[in-house]
Formats: sequence, C-alpha cells, structure tokens
Amino acid sequence: MTTAAPHAGPRPIALERPGRLWAWYALLAAGLLWGLFSFGYQWANGLTVTGLTNAVTWGLYIVVFMFLVGISAGGLIVVAGAELLGSDRFEPFSRLAVIVSGTAIAAAAVSIIPDLGRPQMAWQMLAAPQPMSPLIWDMLVITAYLTIAAVDLWILTRPRPMPKALWVMAVISLPVAVLVHSITAWIFGFLVARPFWNTAILAPLFISSALVSGTALILVVAWIVRHVSAWDPPDHLFSDLGKLLAWFVAVDFFLLSAELITAYTAQTDHHLAPLEMLFGGRLAPLFWAQLGIGVLVPFVVYATPHLRRRTPLLVGAAVLSMLGVFAKRVNILMPGMYDPQVSLAPGIPLGRPGQGFGIDELYVPTWVEYGVVIGITAFAATLITVGVRRWVIPASSGASDDR
Amino acid sequence: MREEADVLGTLLAGEDPNEGAQAAVERRPVIEALPPASREWGEIDVRSDAPRWGMLVDTERCIGCWSCAVICKAENDVPLGMWWNRILTDGDGLDTPTRDEHGRLAMEWLPLACQHCDDAPCEKVCPTAATYTNEEGIVLVDADKCIGCRYCMAACPYGVRVFNWGEAEKAPGVEEGMVQARPVGTVEKCSLCVHRIEDGQQPSCVVSCPAQARIFGDLNAPDSRINRLLEDRGGDQLLESKGTEPKVRYLPPRRRRSL
Repeated sequence: MTTAAPHAGPRPIALERPGRLWAWYALLAAGLLWGLFSFGYQWANGLTVTGLTNAVTWGLYIVVFMFLVGISAGGLIVVAGAELLGSDRFEPFSRLAVIVSGTAIAAAAVSIIPDLGRPQMAWQMLAAPQPMSPLIWDMLVITAYLTIAAVDLWILTRPRPMPKALWVMAVISLPVAVLVHSITAWIFGFLVARPFWNTAILAPLFISSALVSGTALILVVAWIVRHVSAWDPPDHLFSDLGKLLAWFVAVDFFLLSAELITAYTAQTDHHLAPLEMLFGGRLAPLFWAQLGIGVLVPFVVYATPHLRRRTPLLVGAAVLSMLGVFAKRVNILMPGMYDPQVSLAPGIPLGRPGQGFGIDELYVPTWVEYGVVIGITAFAATLITVGVRRWVIPASSGASDDR
Repeated sequence: MREEADVLGTLLAGEDPNEGAQAAVERRPVIEALPPASREWGEIDVRSDAPRWGMLVDTERCIGCWSCAVICKAENDVPLGMWWNRILTDGDGLDTPTRDEHGRLAMEWLPLACQHCDDAPCEKVCPTAATYTNEEGIVLVDADKCIGCRYCMAACPYGVRVFNWGEAEKAPGVEEGMVQARPVGTVEKCSLCVHRIEDGQQPSCVVSCPAQARIFGDLNAPDSRINRLLEDRGGDQLLESKGTEPKVRYLPPRRRRSL
C-alpha cells in the first residue's frame, strides 16, 4: 500500500498508478471493441442473429434501454432535488452525479440503435416524425434531458459557483425528468394489445424504480471513485443517500405490490396469464429473487442505521438494488411479450425458415445481444471514467493532468 | 350475375395458366397475366366512388385447409418462416378437436391476417408513419420508411405482423410473387392485396378459398355482397373490446360443427 504521487492524500490512490489506469482503459477498449464487433456482425446478418422472434419482438436491448433511462435519475435527485429543497448536503456529489446521469441517458440513446432493424434509416425519425408516436416524444425528452445534464455540468465546473443558474436548471429539469421516465413507461403503457403494461401505474412505477436505481448507481460509482483516487467525500454522505434509498425502495415496492395485487384479485383472463408466469411460471425465479435479494435485503440495510453506516455493506446493498431493478425491467417486459391476445394453435409464425409457429416461445438472448450490451456498458464506463478524472478527482493529485 | 360454376368449369377445363408469363418478368406484372376466366372469377362485385374495403370471414364455411394462407405467400412473395395469413384452430391444439358441453367433438377455425383496423394501434405508434391507412381504408407498410423498431408488432393485438429478421429465403422452385420483396430489417403484413384491388380484383385469399368462406367488398357500396351479408347476419370484430374497429369481420357458425 504505497502512495505513488507526491501530493497524495491520506488514502491509497490505486487508479492513478499508471499500470492500474492503463489496465482499466485496456479493459474498457476490449469491451468497446467486442460491442462494436457484435453490432457489426448483427448489422451484416440482420436481427436474425438475436434470440428475438415475431412472438417476442423486444428483448434484452429494450430491457437495457429501460434500465439506462431509469438509472439516469440519480443526478437529478442529488443536484435538482437538493437544490429545490434548499439543501446543499450532497454538494460534494453533484459533479459526479451529473456525469453519471448524463452518461446513463446518452447510453440509453445509444442502446436503442442496435434494436432497430435498419439503424441506417433512423434519421427518418428526425426527417419525418409521426407526432402521435411515444417513441418520438421519448426521443425529444431524452435529448432535452441530455442537454440539461450537459448544461448542469458546465455550470458546476465554472470556477465561480453559480447558485442562481443551478436553481433555474433544477426548476427546468424536474418536470423533464418526470417526463423522461413517464414517456418511457408510456411506450409500453399505451398499448391496448398488452394488458399487463396497459395500466396507469406504469409511469409512477418507472419513476420510483428510476429513483432507486439512479441513487444506487451514484452510491456505487462514488464509492469506487473514492476507493481509487484522492477524491474523498465524507462517509455520512453515503449513509444519507442510503437513508434516502430506504424511502425510494419502500415506495417502489408499494407501487409494484399495489399493481400486482389489484390485477391478481380481479382474476380476469387477460391479467392472469402474465401474473401466473411471474408468481409460479417461467419468470418466477427471477421475480422472487427480485423481491427477496433486490428489494428486501437492501431495504433492511438502508433502513437500519448501524448497517447503512458501514459503507461497504451499504454499497453492496446498492448493487443488489440495481440488480433488483434490472430484474424488475425484465419482469415488466417479458410477461407483456409472452402474452399474445389471440393465442390459438399453432400461434405466431416465429420468423425464420424451419422455426415454425409458437405461442409463448421462450426468449433467450444470444452472444450477439450480450456482446452489444457489453459494448454499451464499456461506452458508459469510459465516459464516466474520463468525466470523473477530468472534473471530480482533484487535480492536485497529479495523475489527471499528464495522461 | 355471372355463372360461377361455369367460370370454374372453364378454369378447370384448361385455360393456359401460364398465358402472359413473359409479362411476369416485370416485378409488378399483375392482372394481365391472369387468364380471362380467372380475372372474371376474381372481379370485385361493386364499388362506390369512395370505396372502403372490408372482408367478412364466414367461420361456418371455413374448412381449415390453409389454401388462402398458401396462396397469400405466393402472391406476396412472403419468405420462408413467415406468414401474412394463417388459420388458427379453435380446438384442443392444431389438429385435435375439443369436446363441447355435451361431450361431442367440436373444432372450428379462425383465419387470421391483418384486421385493417379503422383505429389501428400499429399506425398510432409508428415513429416514421411507415404504417399508414390509405384513402380506401387499407392499412399498409411503406418499407422505405420503416426503421425496424417493431413498435407496431408490440402494439398489434392480433399478432399478424412479421419482421424480416434476416435475408429472405424462398422455397426451392417457387417463383417470385406479384409485389416487391421487402428489405431485411423491416416489418410486413397483409396488404389486402392492394395491387390486385387497384386492378379491380379481389385479394387472392378470397379468390382461392374453396369453401367461399371469405367475402370481400366495398363497405361504402350499399349493394355490395359484403354489406348485404353484414346486414343479414351481422359480423363480429375480433377482440372488439380493444376498440380497434377492424374492417375484417367474422360470421359465427349458426350451428355447431360437431360429431
């Protein structure tokens, strides 16, 4: 545990040792290349190299899209929320939070590209948009949100503090943030063809999940950055975020329960099949893991003061929360997809020669889909690394200047 | 009124089905390629000045033979693994009858293709207006505009849209159809044989049905056969509660087909 840099603070600064840093960049580059290769392979062959069919038309890419839009909520909570509530408690986290959020929403925008059958035609959405489509609204609001993150970052990195500008941005960004999660929910929620999604609670549910996963991500990234650099926010900020998470997780769980219990007690045909899939069917392992490991365990840590003050434990809980929200995205998308409204034999032609028909054909992502997702993850991690090294880690620690 | 049996007779007696085959080298050859008897058989009965096309499927007459599904594939150049039109079995699986309340065997069919909804959910969600309703009420996909997001497939309650996942494969020896093939990465579906309607011909599934279970016509023409039947026997909409207002309607069986 030697300290390499001359101006080093009290803690080891692992990332700033050149070897570690370059190993990390090499890992990110490998991930990016793997993602680009997978995407190139898919572009050359068509989406036939995915596990998708005419029955399950949306899969891992859309889950990742929903998840990334959700985790972009963190910056807003830390910056705008605190600003509007008149608290500068999380001020040390604000740059980091804005970088992470901006990255998440940028990665969300990128993640929709590989889902398109013809990415080269995506410009049609700009050239000839059809204003009734929630996809167009989502494109607009994601662009707005990305712009807000960029302006926020600009304001936060000025030499002199600009509290007034920050307050104005907070007022603008709050409704935009509510919209970005609501419209993403409405992409699904407006569809009469999918009763499981076609519920008014979907938008509130997307907001509550966004608050959970967004805050959890800030916690995790802040902890990692603190661990590998001279940046040293106080411990109590972590447990304060943990306390906030206790509320977010509780609300998120309440909204989900309210929806599932209402749907289940109604026992109508068009609700029962997706619910049975969650409670006892093919999605049950993931669903119960989501509730147990992704909700209950982290909640106990967040809600118990002496547990949440142990920062590594708290960060572990935050990782579980993020996994739980990811599982929840799967458990929202798949029951809707597995539930055709006309389900007589033989079902839907799955779409490839020799593949036949299917009614609730199992969807399993292929290596191509995983590869693309690895690439998107590496893209996001690269942006966060560069941004954090540029704007979060104090320059006096040396390393961020010369590399 | 034409003598349908006679027309069929001439067809069977051997008009050269390949007459006009040279013209078929062009991508959209169409009606001139058909022998006269076939053209007469397929003619649309009456049409108003502003037609609104619809179809009625008489499930009492349907025998579940899949003729309409197969000719649809040939007509529209639908690749292997994909169907615009298919026959669902209301029984205990594809080829097994179920038993009704009296213990008798029962089996029915539901021919299913695009319902050409007046309030089409697919059209509303399409981000590029690639899916649109033409002035005669037919819901169509403009492949040039389609970006392949498959939102329309999630939005369609009937599950009748199919996607070009990869390079189209054709059955060996099957010639090209009457319409342009669609590129990889786009969504496609039943067009109500819009290329035939332009030439005054009924969709090929209607013409090819051996049980004459499909009735096609202009919902705006009071004397059309489809309107007379709708008046007489009504016509159910599939998944009526979804509020999509399909222009394809179904006549329920008047008596139960049971043994």
